[in-house]
Amino acid sequence: MIDVRGLRVVRPPATVALDGVDLTVEPGEFVVIIGRSGAGKTTFLRSINRLVEPTAGTVSVAGQPVTGADARALRDVRRRIGMIFQQFNLVRRASVLDNVLAGRLGYLPTWPSLLGRFPRQDRALALECLSQVGLVDMAERRADTLSGGEQQRVAIARALAQQPSVILGDEPTASLDPHLAASIMDILRRINRERGLTLVVSQHQLETALAYGSRVVGFRAGRIRFDGPPSSVTPEVARAVYGDGEVG
Amino acid sequence: MRRERLVTLVVGLAVLGWVAWDTEADPTRLVRGLPWMLDFLRRLVPPDLSVLPAALAGALKTVEIALLGTAVAAVFALPLGFVAARNVAPPALFQTARVVLNVFRSVDTLVYALLFVAAVGLGPFPGVLAIVAYTTTSLAKLYSEAIEGIDAGPVDAITATGASRLQILRFGVLPQVLPLFLSYILYRLETNIRAATVLGFVGAGGIGFYLQTYLRMIDYSAASTVLLVTVAMVMVVDGISSRLRARLV
Repeated sequence: MIDVRGLRVVRPPATVALDGVDLTVEPGEFVVIIGRSGAGKTTFLRSINRLVEPTAGTVSVAGQPVTGADARALRDVRRRIGMIFQQFNLVRRASVLDNVLAGRLGYLPTWPSLLGRFPRQDRALALECLSQVGLVDMAERRADTLSGGEQQRVAIARALAQQPSVILGDEPTASLDPHLAASIMDILRRINRERGLTLVVSQHQLETALAYGSRVVGFRAGRIRFDGPPSSVTPEVARAVYGDGEVG
Repeated sequence: MRRERLVTLVVGLAVLGWVAWDTEADPTRLVRGLPWMLDFLRRLVPPDLSVLPAALAGALKTVEIALLGTAVAAVFALPLGFVAARNVAPPALFQTARVVLNVFRSVDTLVYALLFVAAVGLGPFPGVLAIVAYTTTSLAKLYSEAIEGIDAGPVDAITATGASRLQILRFGVLPQVLPLFLSYILYRLETNIRAATVLGFVGAGGIGFYLQTYLRMIDYSAASTVLLVTVAMVMVVDGISSRLRARLV
């Protein structure tokens, strides 16, 4: 489903964020990425949909090349890749429904969509996605009137509205208290199991990573240090990924 | 450090002193002029209310000039604002746009008015053109700074959905900056009303024409009416505009 080969990201002048990453994710996997901050987790996730431009290497998703794709092809493949963020990244002044509808933009011709009017079937789909995260009653509310946990659920609905094959999550629970974090991870697990969506989610809490992931990938200094099932994450593995000192 | 401060202070005072000499600044001249100013003020009362209809018509024309000029400029400034914003424009375009904006903004509305009066003749129309010329570039600068101050998060999120460049601007950037844009437009309208009052001095229409005419004719009581109408007009427009702006935040 996701195929990454020799991925390198160098930020000017010479900061190596990713230093040769190879990873193949099979359809339906729930991959949780662990590692210290600065290990390359965010850069890796953002390279998969080219929010970060890779310096070298190739990425393809669902058989479509991401690297080397022209603007049109990039739009097409991005539609298959939903993404959620640590800070939710909703348009704060827009309504909840309008935020979810933004997930449909990749499917709409540019000029008519600029008027902000969405086709009936897209609105129906957006409401359906909102009910999946239990927020259909809040459709007309302004996004910034919602709590953090609710905003992240709206962001998940926006990603679902893309009808994606893959959802990427960049520390989606790091801004939430543990209880809400668990509820977000539960929703992601349900999406993974019921819809068979492939998930790649970074997670700063090791226990949460082990509880939810079907596969754990550990990053350290821009490279993959560990790749395996949660059951094989031993204290030695944790030390190799996080380095000496505190874990998590 | 202390030494540097002292040097800065001495140099600053020296420059100001020389500038005061060069501009022939002389407080005693101001004092000697006081009787004349009092005489002028005395001649302003009572205002000659027979010119009130003309003054009101002039004020209306001034408001119209400012309103039309600001509205047209608000639209023209939109594409310029995006092109001049570092975080959304391609670098080459951005650099050029910044230079162009700075050049055009360095010329004041009144200077544009002189140019347009020469080009299209007397009347309110060159006034409108002058307002458009200056306000377009000044609003574009304000727009571009608002765009540069946006939260990049929603833009990332919209980009990740597969939205096109224009869709990203419309759905990721515009909702964040629109209230600011409207507030800047109203603020510009307020300053343009004031700018438009003097446009009449150079033949570009509005209430300034009457003020200048009566002053030339040494008809101070008529000029006084015009002044009072000007003050009332500015206060009314400022009041409405600031109330609208308060609702935007």
